[in-house]
Order: sequence, then structure tokens, then C-alpha cells
Amino acid sequence: MPGKTSSFGARVLVICASSFLFCVANLPAQMSSAAAPAAPALHEVVDGYGRTVRIPVNPNRIISLAPSVTETLYALGVEGRLVGDTDYCDYPPDAQKKPKVGGVINPNLEQIAALHPDLVVMSKEGNLLETVRALDSLGIPTYATDARSIEQIISSTQKLADVLNVSKVGKALTADLQQRLSTLQSKLAGVPPRRVLFIVWPEPLMSVGKSTFIADAIRKAGALSIVDSNQDWPQVSLEEVVRLQPDFLVFAASHSGSAERDFELLANRPGWQILDAVRNRRFAVASEAIIRPAPRLVSVIEDLARQLHPDVFLEKPGPDEPAAPANVSPVSQPKPLASLVSQSSCSAETSCVL
Amino acid sequence: MSTPHRTPTPSPSNPTPDQQRANSDVRLSVEQASYVYAPNPSQAPLFTLEALSFQAKPGEIVAILGPNASGKSTLLKLISGALQPLSGRIFLNGFATHDLPPQIRAQRIAFVQQESRLLFPSRVWEFVLQGRHAHGHGLRFVTEEDMAVANNALTQVGASHLADRWMDKISGGEKQRVILARALAQQPLLLLLDEPTLHLDIGAQVDLLESLRRLAAENRYTVIIVTHELNLTGEYADQVVLLQKGKCLRVGTPASVFQRDLLEHVFQAPLTVEMTSSGRPRVTLFNKQ
Amino acid sequence: MRPLTLGRLFLRCGILAVVLFVVVVMALKLGAVQVSLYGLGRDLIRVLLHQSSGISTDYGMIVVDIRLPRILLAIVVGASLSVAGTSFQALLRNPLADPYVLGISSGGAVGAIIALMLENQLSFSPEFAGLITPFGAFLGAAITIAAVYFLGRREGQIDSTTLLLGGVITASFLNAIIMFLMSSLAGSNLRGGATYWMMGSLSTLPSKSLLYLLGIGFLVAAGAIYTTSSDLNLLLAGEKEAMHLGVDVRRVQILVYLAASILTGLAVSVSGAIGYVGLLVPHAMRMIFGSDHRMLLPAAALGGAIALVIADTIARTVVAPSELQVGAVTALVGAPFFIYLLRRRLA
Repeated sequence: MPGKTSSFGARVLVICASSFLFCVANLPAQMSSAAAPAAPALHEVVDGYGRTVRIPVNPNRIISLAPSVTETLYALGVEGRLVGDTDYCDYPPDAQKKPKVGGVINPNLEQIAALHPDLVVMSKEGNLLETVRALDSLGIPTYATDARSIEQIISSTQKLADVLNVSKVGKALTADLQQRLSTLQSKLAGVPPRRVLFIVWPEPLMSVGKSTFIADAIRKAGALSIVDSNQDWPQVSLEEVVRLQPDFLVFAASHSGSAERDFELLANRPGWQILDAVRNRRFAVASEAIIRPAPRLVSVIEDLARQLHPDVFLEKPGPDEPAAPANVSPVSQPKPLASLVSQSSCSAETSCVL
Repeated sequence: MSTPHRTPTPSPSNPTPDQQRANSDVRLSVEQASYVYAPNPSQAPLFTLEALSFQAKPGEIVAILGPNASGKSTLLKLISGALQPLSGRIFLNGFATHDLPPQIRAQRIAFVQQESRLLFPSRVWEFVLQGRHAHGHGLRFVTEEDMAVANNALTQVGASHLADRWMDKISGGEKQRVILARALAQQPLLLLLDEPTLHLDIGAQVDLLESLRRLAAENRYTVIIVTHELNLTGEYADQVVLLQKGKCLRVGTPASVFQRDLLEHVFQAPLTVEMTSSGRPRVTLFNKQ
Repeated sequence: MRPLTLGRLFLRCGILAVVLFVVVVMALKLGAVQVSLYGLGRDLIRVLLHQSSGISTDYGMIVVDIRLPRILLAIVVGASLSVAGTSFQALLRNPLADPYVLGISSGGAVGAIIALMLENQLSFSPEFAGLITPFGAFLGAAITIAAVYFLGRREGQIDSTTLLLGGVITASFLNAIIMFLMSSLAGSNLRGGATYWMMGSLSTLPSKSLLYLLGIGFLVAAGAIYTTSSDLNLLLAGEKEAMHLGVDVRRVQILVYLAASILTGLAVSVSGAIGYVGLLVPHAMRMIFGSDHRMLLPAAALGGAIALVIADTIARTVVAPSELQVGAVTALVGAPFFIYLLRRRLA
């Protein structure tokens, strides 16, 4: 009976198709349960992606998806409204106590949703577009900062302050940051920039590209990165570095704490003795804050400038530096060229020089 | 004469009763069929099968006989429709075998393999049911008729007791019978076998030929066997097609084909031919001195 | 003698469907955030009876907007990969065949990486951003499918050995291209994204239209393959033998090749190359139900769905709140299972 079985296939297909479509059709478009019980007032802003986003006027359940964003939020004094951040948000130490929602590139959507945020703040550089799209489809408002240069870090901080309704605090903070930078500029005016190699990773040897904010920070500190690349994290060969013979090596402090040890490890790698900077022990250590596009970066720039141009900052002989702006803790003593080591001293609040 | 075993399959290409009656005596007709195997067109052909003709009737066993590389397998492939003859034609009940669509062809022609390597083990009854595929349409499940035909096929080859066994666990001779059963399950008009006795011991060889003779007589199959076994051919074949190096040297009954000088020429070995009481020739080979 | 009948087929598929349903319910419950089964069940029933418009806001978004789409994605991808794997094993007559053996996933990866690079150069708005990479991946897979088809022909017809060789060579060539692309991406932010994609994951939140597309694609392609089930049974014995038994070998090969490749391409476009599912689920189902493709294909589809939903649930709960890559879970579970299968075969 051939006819009977040839329609069998059609029947199976129909049953499968209808059950699947039934399932998917019953997916409500959005649950929108993240919104506060009363419909909040919304306004439109343009974020770092150039999107026009509609976000609450006064968000008070904020989630940060990048460590730099978390730092900025604390710097703006809105940490009371921060209800969650990523596993990597460790500065200031209080940030570690906030509920965690996962990593930067793979945050856990469920945990974000469970916290019922009314705004998620992200960074264009650190977070994935995919995450933005996912949060959009869940109906959770997002705002992304864009910070590729020092100027942009400062301006996006101000923008973020406006979005969060703390414009005055933001203005104070940015004004202070600008002021410190211009003071630094004037001190370094006329001083030839040091040629440096910023080491992101020793093996394979990776440095920073010229359009990153790190390169910008280096420039503001009176130095020039010898690596001229359009990539963000270019790999460079040791030969090329030897050819260019930088004046200084700059690297970020590791968690072991001792910059001397870090330098020794570097210097003992095969081939590195060829570099003048290694033989003469000319290196500078920046705090790990250098890789975060946040207000702390300005302090790092200042410290880096001091290490690279000690003579500029030795205005009068004496053990202590002249008093810095009020919210900066005392810095380390300038030391002879032979061994430049920074000590860490952190205050509980905002700026910190390591 | 027993009634035909199979019921006519309801397929559109079934010849009309008139056509069938018109060819009632001749089932297979090979007319001046030839073939050339030339994989590289710019070079000389590797093998040529020159035009030959013969006919076969229902119930007949035809042996295609010859030494190695005489073109026997090529001729069998032409008959099975797997190859298209370069010239001439091959008709099965009036239809050119190569032009038939694969499914219709499988309803009429069954090729009995020597071996069957299965990727995943299956049971004997599953294997035999494969022969019913030709009689189904697209996606279909096993019908009562299929089961009956398969069971019958197994009985006919004397392998019913093997039905639930695994294919990879039965002996070579048993496997050969099961493969034959699968071919019978196709309910064909034509049964083709390529050197079926190659791996069998003498007892099994005789068993096989006896079965084929019985099946051909009972069910009116036309059986075509490719072989180089002289005595089996002499004993069981109704017709012999003698090939050597791509040429057909003679077609006829064993008695007429088994002439001493002819056979010695073809097989390049000294021999004598005797006639038995049943009218069948028997060949005895000598040592080359 | 107990041949497969329609009734038996439905019964077995029904059992598998029930298992799938139970697995789905568990998957809805488990996750980084606690959801109570009782509350969920109660709300679901209310929704079905149209007594309430939605599920409790406490976990409604989590279950319906985040977990359910992901589970549906796992179902479609798992079913697609298993059916494709079963088909390739039959087509190539090789028990080691999996959906990626002919280079489709490598082609998809090349397409995805190029799409990522393009996406970076020209900035798209986030709505499109989600579609560029899958589209690029599918395009890469499609081109590979066509190329391997032409490589795999012999005398104008697909030959299983030639196809396998052509596919393997294409795969290694494409893998070399991938390595080249990855090294040229080495200095940029995209590298993390590319690696993440290639490892295979279900964590991208699928949109409704994407799920529809995948579901319909699956039903059409798998349905087409299913119509050739009895042909596939015979094809396992060899192309010549199958032809003599009445199979239109050429037509079946082309249809199965195209349909199985499309299934793989769709799965790979959205989830990267999740391994072991397409290789092992067919074998497991064969061990339970035998190698008759009329039973095996639906069983593989359901079994693949079950396997991938379980693997994905493990991936997102074991180290919560972080996630493992689902490809890592399938490998961790799959490799020992594969060894077990090998030993069984030898015994």
C-alpha cells in the first residue's frame, strides 16, 4: 500500500513544525520586568557607539560591565547606586564587595537580569557589541562610554556624570584632572620626550599601538612610544627594539609587588642585554591602572612623568615633593637613576598613586 | 508447469500482456552488443568487447564461459544495465536494460554479489528485506507482502533457520545463500551471478548450482552465470556463451560448445571431452608435458 | 523477525520526546539564578490557560527571555548536527564521519572571521551586528560545500572516497587560512572574539526570527534526508550494490550531501563548531535502535537535542556565574564515551 506511507512523512513534518512554532510563538516579545514598577521618566542620549538610547533620567540601579567604568562611577561618587559589577572590578577595594555578574566579554545575562537594573554602563573598548545587542533585546537600557584618548576619557567621564545626574561632581572631577594635566604639560614644555618601549607582554613581545589611550598617556608623560603601529596590541620583534634602542623600558606593575624583581626577570631573558636600557637599568614602572581608561590614569601619568624626567621635578633639593592637589596622597621620593622603584600607597577613596 | 511465483508489480513500465506474449519465448535478447573501455580518450582503449548476440528463455541457465580477462564481467554488466553498450542493444522483455530507471530495473534484474560488506552489522532478515526496496515508493515501511516474500525467499534457499542470526556471525556458505535469498526477494525476471563459486568448497558449489537449477525451473527465472568452471558449466548450463579476449567464439548448448580443439585453444591447456549418459559433456584436464 | 513499523517508530520517538521535555524543564529551572520549579510550573499553566499575561517578574525574564531561547537554540543545533552526522556517516560509508569532516565548519570559521574583520572596519548598528557574523559564517560554509562537491566527483558522480578525501584536504587548507587570519588579527581586539566564536558556544542570545529560520531550515533539510532513509540503508552496503537493489544512487547522494551540508552550515553559523555531538549521538542511537535510518534519523534528531541541552545546562551551571564553553563540555564527555564505543566494537 504505497499511498499510505508517502503521506506519513508529510504528517510527521506537520506535527514537528507546529509544535516548534507553537513553542516559539509563545515566547513573549519582551517581559520588560527589569523596569521599575512605576514607568520611569526617560530621556534620550547619544552614547559612545553613536546610538541614541533612551535611558531613565535618574537611574539608581546601575550595573557596570567594565572595571574602568566601575572606577569612574566611584570617582563620581555614585557607588551607592551601583548594584553589580564584573569579576574584574577590583578598584577601589569596595568594588570587590558588589554583586558580581561575570566577566567583561562574557557577562552572565541571567545575573544581570536578576538584579533588575535600570541602566547598564559598558565601555566600547572592553565589551562586545554582542552583549549590547543581547541587553537591547531584553529591554534593558544600556549606555556605552568611548575612551580612546586621554581627552576622551575626561570628556566621557563628564558625559557619564551628566547621564547619571551628577554633573557638578563631574565638572569638579574633570576640572581637576585637566588642571593636573596642564600643570604637567607646562613642566614638561621644552623637555625632549624620552623614547620608551611599553611592554604589555614580554614573550611574545607585545606593545601598544599609537591610537590606544596608553600611547596617549605615554605622550602626556613626556615620552614617545617607539612602536608606531595601527594595531592595538602589536607584536614587535626584539630585533626591531634593538635597532630603535629606546631610552627607557616601561611596564605595568605585576601583582608580585616588587618592581626590581619584575625588571630582573625581564633583563635575564635571552637577548635583552643588548638593549642599552637594560644594561643601564633604565626602566619605569607604572601601576596596573595604566591599562584602565579611568580618572586614575592621570595619576599614573604624573607618576610616570616623574620617573622618566626626575630632573624636571627636582625643583628644590629635599626629601619630599611639593604638596600636590588635595586628594592626592604623598608620592615616593625621587631616587637616583640607578634604581627607580615606586612604592605603593593607596588611600581608600579616589586617586591613588602607585 | 508450476504457476509463476510472482504477482505482476503495479509499475507503469510493465509490458502489456500482448508484448509479453509476443516475446513469450525469448526473455533476454542481446543484439550485437559491444563495449569499449577507454578511460583516457587520447590513448588506445584498454579493453574491447566485440559485438555479440545471444538469447535466453525463461527457466534457462546461461553460462558465460571463458578464461580471465575475456570480457565476461563486462558482458554481465552490460546485461545488468550498469553499462551502456557502445553499439547494439540488450533487451529484457522488450525493454533496453540501460534505459530503465534504477528502481524498475531492480524489479526485473537481480545481481547476486559474491560478498556483502556491511558497515554496521544487521540481521539476516533485515538483509533479505533489502531486496524489497525496489518494490516500494519513497518513504515506506515493511508490509505484510514484503515479509511474506522475504520469508519465502529464505525458505527457497534453505536458510529459514538463519533468519534471526547476525550477518557477520554466519559461515561463508550460509552467507552466500542469504545473499541469493535477497536477490530472490526482488522477484526478478533475471538473476545474474558473477563467479559465484569462487570462494565455495566443492560441496557448496554443487549445492548452489542445484538450487539455481531448481529455482529457475520452478519460478521461471532466467539465470546468467559468469564462470570459468568447465565441469560445472557442462553439467548445469542450458546454454554456453564462450568468450576469449573480448570475442565471442561460440554460443550453444554445452554439448555443441565443448569441442576439444576449441576448448584447448581458448583455455590453452590440453584436455579431453567425454559425453556422459545424460548427454552432458565432461572435461578432463591433463598435465602439460 | 520484528521489522520497524510506523507504530513502533512513533512509540520510540514519543519516549524520546518525553525525555526531551523533562530535560527542557530541568534546563529551565537550572542556571546561575535560582528559579523555583513549582512557581515556574504554576505560572506556565496560568499562561497556557490565558489566566495571566506573563510569568512572575522575579524570574520571568530569566526563564522566558534568556533561558528558553537558548534551550530552543540548543535543540535545533543539536538536532541539526546529529542528523547531519548520521547522514554523512551513511553517505561516506565511514563511522568516523562527523558534520565537519568535509570542511564545512572550517569554511564557516573563515567566513565568520572575515565578517568580524569587516564589521570592525565598517561600523554597524547593534541590530545588524548580530547578523553579520552568522551570515558571513553561512556564506563561508556554502562556498565550501560547493567546492567540496566539485572536488568530490569522479566521472561526473559523487564517489564517497573521493568526496571524503576532497573534504579533508579542503578542511586542512581552510584551517591554514584560519591560522593566517588569526595571526594577522593578533594585534587587535578581534582576536578574542574570533577564538570565542570558533570554540563553539550557545551563549549568543538568538532572536525570534533567527530561531524561526533555523527551525524551518532544519525541518526542510532533515525532512528531505528522511525521505531517503531506505535508500541510505542500502547505500551502506556500497554504491554498486545499492544501485543493483534499485537505489537511484546519484540522486540520493546529491540530495543527502546538500541537505546535510545545509544543516551543518546553519548550525555552525550560529554556534561555531560544537564538536562530538554529530559524531557520537548517531552511534549511541544506533546502539539502542539499530541502523535502520527510518528509526535512526528521528532518534538522532531527538537524541542530539537532548544531548546538547544537557551539555549546555552543564556548561552554564557547573562554574556559575561563569560559563564553560559548551564545546568543552561535549569534548569532556564525548571523548570518554567515544573510547567506550571503540572498545565495545572491538569486543
